Amino acid sequence: MLKFTGVKKQFGSNVILQDISFEIEEGKFYTILGPSGSGKTTILRLIAGFEFPDGGTIAFDGQTINQVPANKRQVNTVFQDYALFPHLNVFDNVAFALRLQRVNKQEITARVNEALNLVHLADFADRELDELSGGQKQRVAIARAIVNRPKILLLDEALSALDHKLRKEMQTELRQLQRRLGITFIFVTHDQEEALAMSDHIMIINNGLIEQSGTPVDIYDEPLNHFVADFIGESNIIPATMVEDYAVEIDGRQFSCLDGGFEPDEAVEVVLRPEDLDITSVAKGMLTATVESQLFRGVDYQIVVRDTEGHEWTINSIHKTVVGKQIGITFDPEDIHVMRFNESQTDFDARLATYQEGGAHEQE
Amino acid sequence: MPQKRFSIGRIYLALVLIVMYLPIFYLIYYSFSSGERMDGFHHFSWVHYQALFQDTRMISIVLNTLVLALLSALLATVVGTAGALMINGIHNRLWRRNILILNNILLVSPDVIIGASFLIFFTFLGFKLGFWSVLFSHVAFSIPIVVLMVLPRVKELPKSLKDAAYDLGATRWQAFSQVTIPGITDGIMAGFFMALTYSLDDFAVTFFVTGNGFSTLSVEIYSRARQGIDLEINALSTIMFLVSLILVYIYYRFSTKKGAKRRLNQ
Repeated sequence: MLKFTGVKKQFGSNVILQDISFEIEEGKFYTILGPSGSGKTTILRLIAGFEFPDGGTIAFDGQTINQVPANKRQVNTVFQDYALFPHLNVFDNVAFALRLQRVNKQEITARVNEALNLVHLADFADRELDELSGGQKQRVAIARAIVNRPKILLLDEALSALDHKLRKEMQTELRQLQRRLGITFIFVTHDQEEALAMSDHIMIINNGLIEQSGTPVDIYDEPLNHFVADFIGESNIIPATMVEDYAVEIDGRQFSCLDGGFEPDEAVEVVLRPEDLDITSVAKGMLTATVESQLFRGVDYQIVVRDTEGHEWTINSIHKTVVGKQIGITFDPEDIHVMRFNESQTDFDARLATYQEGGAHEQE
Repeated sequence: MPQKRFSIGRIYLALVLIVMYLPIFYLIYYSFSSGERMDGFHHFSWVHYQALFQDTRMISIVLNTLVLALLSALLATVVGTAGALMINGIHNRLWRRNILILNNILLVSPDVIIGASFLIFFTFLGFKLGFWSVLFSHVAFSIPIVVLMVLPRVKELPKSLKDAAYDLGATRWQAFSQVTIPGITDGIMAGFFMALTYSLDDFAVTFFVTGNGFSTLSVEIYSRARQGIDLEINALSTIMFLVSLILVYIYYRFSTKKGAKRRLNQ
């Protein structure tokens, strides 16, 4: 439905987007995830029509819309600061777009009430904005954006101003709303947890490039590179050597793994998630390490250990240990994810296909 | 700490208020005297008010002054608001600051100098002194104050509001008239009222640029006062004092209601 092809954008000499290509399908929940300054908001502004690309094409339903201004696009935005019109009450804010189109009064009332119903603010139509809480303002902003029945709804860091509990509630609600409306949602955030929880599809942006694009599970289990592995979830990223396919050497010791398609003795990085590591005795351990710190986090302990080669490992465990103690670390072959240096997503997918045919891999 | 009935602060405040208001009340007091001068209260009478209402020259000057003030405030508000929006739109910080400085210089420079320079300017152009010259100069010296009142509101207005308007299908003009202008109305109103009082108040600039046929209240009162005090002026002052009292009261009722609402929001 929406397609970016080699899109570039710069402000003065500051290059924001280097080369962005992706395709958005109808009715899905997309998240553009990246650290601040990565260019994710610029992508959103290009889709909305607040900015125009310096190169490449943006196509909507097959038609190039590079220079189409915001007021002519079937896209609506929920802004980070809500951007509600302070001189209008809740009803008039939501009715703004319909009044511009000179929709008749009865239909305006019906559609505004319907939109307010969808965001659970049916009784708030006559309220002034001053009388609303942050969460309610957020809902008004969403109602205002969906009343016009856009093809795509853009949400720019839409939940970042809310407190933790409210944010969790809104995540669930947004997801439900998206399913009910069947509109494509494109959500921009820097919060990886939010992205994993809500999306059908995540695009990870860094330095104006897409680092990886895929379902939340794919991205979490098979990060393409160091940046993605580090940015999504907690992870231990350790330098290693691929002795041969399905055998990786970490800290001078060889372990079996499920990754293949490498050169013999190729230098790689391995990713091990803290929740996949277990602490055991030194004798039973696959690696030996010393406990450096322990943090109680409610559901578990976050334990930082240092192995004999000086690599730092983070382990999430429900069992506590003692700082300064020598321990063993164990993990299973499927917990190891091997990352090749500078591998593109296409190359990665191709490599995955070559060795997954044999059925050695049992992902998902 | 409970407030004492007669604290030093309160006494001081009372003294200041007395010093400030005593001359005005003195003036008001004698406006009701039947005497010709302020050398002793004779007995209560409306005679000076009757004289005032029969003084068509004075009444036409009052009307002139009001028309001039309203008209100049209106024009200055339009120009000043546009100016504030443009100044805010300048991206180059140095340029923006310099233009703002130019604006503020006009605000602090003495009225006499502004008046004299306008006089030189008009005579140089061969512009006939009268209503239009006064109007023009009042608009000119009111613009900076409007800019100063409107600019903070423009700056406070989130940029995303305009984007939101476009996003919802507004054209540039619709975004301007339905979002930007309502968003800065407080500033525009304050600017208008300031411009109005500036124009009503002004003596120095007006004194330079009024010709023979046209006069404003401040200039007229000044020229009459030179020929000895006429208690008709007292009567006029009393009426003006009451009118401004009512205006200020209305303005505060209006603005504090809105202000209280806004404070709730924060």
